[in-house]
Amino acid sequence: MDTILEIEELEMSYQTIKGFVSAVDNVSFKIMKGESMGLVGESGCGKTSLGMCIMKLLPENARIMNGKILFDGEDIVPKTEEEMRKIRWKGVSMIFQAAMNALNPVYRVGDQIIEAIQTHDNISKEEAREKVEKLYELVGLSPERMKNYPHEYSGGMRQRAIIAMALACDPKFIIADEPTTALDVIVQDQIIDEIVNLQKKLNMTMMYISHDISVIAETCNKIGVMYAGNIVEYTYTSTLFDNPLHPYTKALMSSFPSIEGPKKELKPVPGEPPNLLNPPEGCRFYPRCSYAEEICKKENPEFVEIEKDHFLACHKVI
Amino acid sequence: MKKKKWKLIRQIWDLIRGSTFIKLGVSIIIIFGIMAVFSPIWVNRNPEIYDPIIGVDPDVHGSEGPSLKHPLGTDYIGKDLFSQLLRGSQIAFILGIMVSVLSTTIGTIVGLVAGYYGRIVDIILMRLADIILTLPRLPLLIVISGIFGTQSNWIILLILSFTFWPTISRVIRSQTLSLRERPFIESAKVSGVGNRRIILRHLAPNVLPITFYYLTVTVTGAILVEAGLSFLGFGDPSNMSWGMMLKWCFTTGYVFKAPYWMIPPGLCISALAFSFYLIGVGLEEIVNPRLKKR
Amino acid sequence: MSMERYILSRVIQIIIIFFIVMSIIFLLFRVIPSDPTSFLLTPSMTAEAKEAIREQFGLNEPIITQYYLYFKNFFHGNFGNSFYGGRSVMNIIKERMLNSIFLVTTAVILSYIIGITVGKAIAWKRGSKTEKFFVGLGLWFYTMFTPWLGILFLWIFAFKLHLFPLGGMITSEVWIANPSLIEKICDLIHHLILPLITYVVLWFGGYMLLMRNSMLETLREDYIITARAKGLKEKDIRDKHAARNALLPIVTAFAISISFSITGAVLIETVFSWPGIGRTIVEATLRQDYPLVQGAFAIITIVVLIANFMADIAYAYLDPRISY
Repeated sequence: MDTILEIEELEMSYQTIKGFVSAVDNVSFKIMKGESMGLVGESGCGKTSLGMCIMKLLPENARIMNGKILFDGEDIVPKTEEEMRKIRWKGVSMIFQAAMNALNPVYRVGDQIIEAIQTHDNISKEEAREKVEKLYELVGLSPERMKNYPHEYSGGMRQRAIIAMALACDPKFIIADEPTTALDVIVQDQIIDEIVNLQKKLNMTMMYISHDISVIAETCNKIGVMYAGNIVEYTYTSTLFDNPLHPYTKALMSSFPSIEGPKKELKPVPGEPPNLLNPPEGCRFYPRCSYAEEICKKENPEFVEIEKDHFLACHKVI
Repeated sequence: MKKKKWKLIRQIWDLIRGSTFIKLGVSIIIIFGIMAVFSPIWVNRNPEIYDPIIGVDPDVHGSEGPSLKHPLGTDYIGKDLFSQLLRGSQIAFILGIMVSVLSTTIGTIVGLVAGYYGRIVDIILMRLADIILTLPRLPLLIVISGIFGTQSNWIILLILSFTFWPTISRVIRSQTLSLRERPFIESAKVSGVGNRRIILRHLAPNVLPITFYYLTVTVTGAILVEAGLSFLGFGDPSNMSWGMMLKWCFTTGYVFKAPYWMIPPGLCISALAFSFYLIGVGLEEIVNPRLKKR
Repeated sequence: MSMERYILSRVIQIIIIFFIVMSIIFLLFRVIPSDPTSFLLTPSMTAEAKEAIREQFGLNEPIITQYYLYFKNFFHGNFGNSFYGGRSVMNIIKERMLNSIFLVTTAVILSYIIGITVGKAIAWKRGSKTEKFFVGLGLWFYTMFTPWLGILFLWIFAFKLHLFPLGGMITSEVWIANPSLIEKICDLIHHLILPLITYVVLWFGGYMLLMRNSMLETLREDYIITARAKGLKEKDIRDKHAARNALLPIVTAFAISISFSITGAVLIETVFSWPGIGRTIVEATLRQDYPLVQGAFAIITIVVLIANFMADIAYAYLDPRISY
């Protein structure tokens, strides 16, 4: 199997008035072709920042301090903006949240997708239009809708159009950043089904970012659990659900209801995520961890493969 | 509670101190403030020579350039230009600040009332504001002051304020409209707080930053428009404002011969208008940090 | 609501505002403390002569009749005759208005183009030295006293350097000699340049700052991230996505800027002796030539109303979201 994306010891910080905030710290993982990786964590844990690192779409005050992002075997960290421009959308594309203003309100939706295609592929406007028509059918939209403006779409339709846009240049890798947040539950399910179907049909490689572990479980075959800038556990979905090892993963699972399993009381993860401006020394989770010991306060555990394809960062379990 | 308030004031003070715009603006204003205070001292040494309106230096014939006795020279009949310039800064301050306070107060109240009560009150007040906004300001002022015949600074004060409040009230109104929907106003209403109290206690403090912004930029507008009116010959003849100094220089044919007369008043008008505007821009950056570099 | 109905409702609104404003003008000129004809009436005049003048201005009719006559005359384009020289007010206004529109339109278009281009560029380079320089420059000129800059330019470029004429719109000696069209145009442009430059220097700053602020707001929108993610070229992101949206508030500001331009026109025309409507209203007011003041003011108001209307229509075309 080919590796599409490999991240090695990535560290990214935001420069603020009060100092550096490390939003992504010492993150390493691999995604193989055809795999779908779910990235789950509380809001503010750095999952969106990690996604933006992969596209190198960072705000001005953000810096990649350390590490490598190997996309298709090439490190993109040292690449210039112009080189990145060619990788974006053609190499890595992104499914944005429809609730965000991701579509420009003053242009027709179809034209915005055609624009993306024509930027990367040297084809005529007519050919691009035909391609968008096919994409519209693929995501379950009527091609006639291409000539409408974003405000004339419903939330669900807009999300479908955004998915169509992400597929426009046949990218090798797609990042979906909370694509179903702020949609109502029924539409949410439809969109998730659509993504799962497309993933199978097109054999897409993707990374699905969400705070909702149940959505991730439905859509992804691997899960990375992120906490305060670190990935603390990374393995196959089935393995993770059968045998969650990290205390945070366990806490996260118990805070979501399961329809099939026995009825159990829902427990929110107690405590607050740490302030990343002055992250606690040692394991970042120890203040909230019920298993914490002396060593957890002093040393940050290493991220190691404790069994095949099961990575973990925790002193207790190792 | 009190401690919290102090902390807030402290934070605002730090923000103000951090703004180059505000620091520069305040420095220029201080210079003009000193000029305004210095004016009577300069004149009272010898009012017969130095009074900006009636004083004439008998030793001078026609406009003469700067000398020790007259640091900026004299006008066409021998009046001291420096004392006129000092008096001008008094007028600019008084008129500018009074117009600003009056029109911002009216504008804020009208905006709050229109936005809070809505319906017919809103329609009437905002249509009125629209009509005044459509009227071309300077021609309107010219016509009104022409109609009143003799001009006085009080009339100029009133008609300037009359044309300045609508802009402010429109902005305050749209802000009030969005505030009105917020939960804290809803809860105040439900718990039976009276309308007047809601406006004063809950709405007014929230629109205050905008009011402060307009308080400064309106001074700029007022100074420039007053100077324009005086320059065109519609100023208060019993006083010597900067606009009027420039007018006399322009109409008595000295405009190209006497740069010592032509340059100072225009420079003062521009600099004082600039300094108040700078403070406004600085405040805007504090209130709306999006405009600053990310 | 369709575009047509939107336009219709705006037209109705503007007509209503027009009638209110015209009524205000009517009332203003009736509350004049001094009888508008009093200075024409000298004590030596005979009673009949006085009466004739009062008759001519309809001052003996009841106020309602006067009001009716006022509108009737207005729609016939009849503003009466000037107290000075007796020329028809309508003819004077027509001629002066054209001169003003010629100057102001050229100036506004130029300052718009320069302001928007520079504003767009400095917003893109936010935080740079260039940005700070232009912001400072824009603010300084934006708050500069109009006549003073005009006089400074006249002093330097016309009086000292003899590059341009000292004022006016044409050199009458040149025009009397019956020159070719090219010579006429050259003469006109020669007179136009200084007031035009004064105008543009004073006004581009306002548009520039507005465009910069609007751009900075737009650049934070999510669709700009989308545009970058799509791998578009910098230029396309800036011009097609950011600037296109940032222009919307600038169009709204156009209506307000028209009112400002007229204020500027009054002052600049006075300094450069440009025979436009602004200078006309100043001179007529100083001479208490009320028919001319009233006519000129009415025309200026109408122009402002039309400009407002055009800005609304332009906005509706630019922003597909607008709910008519």
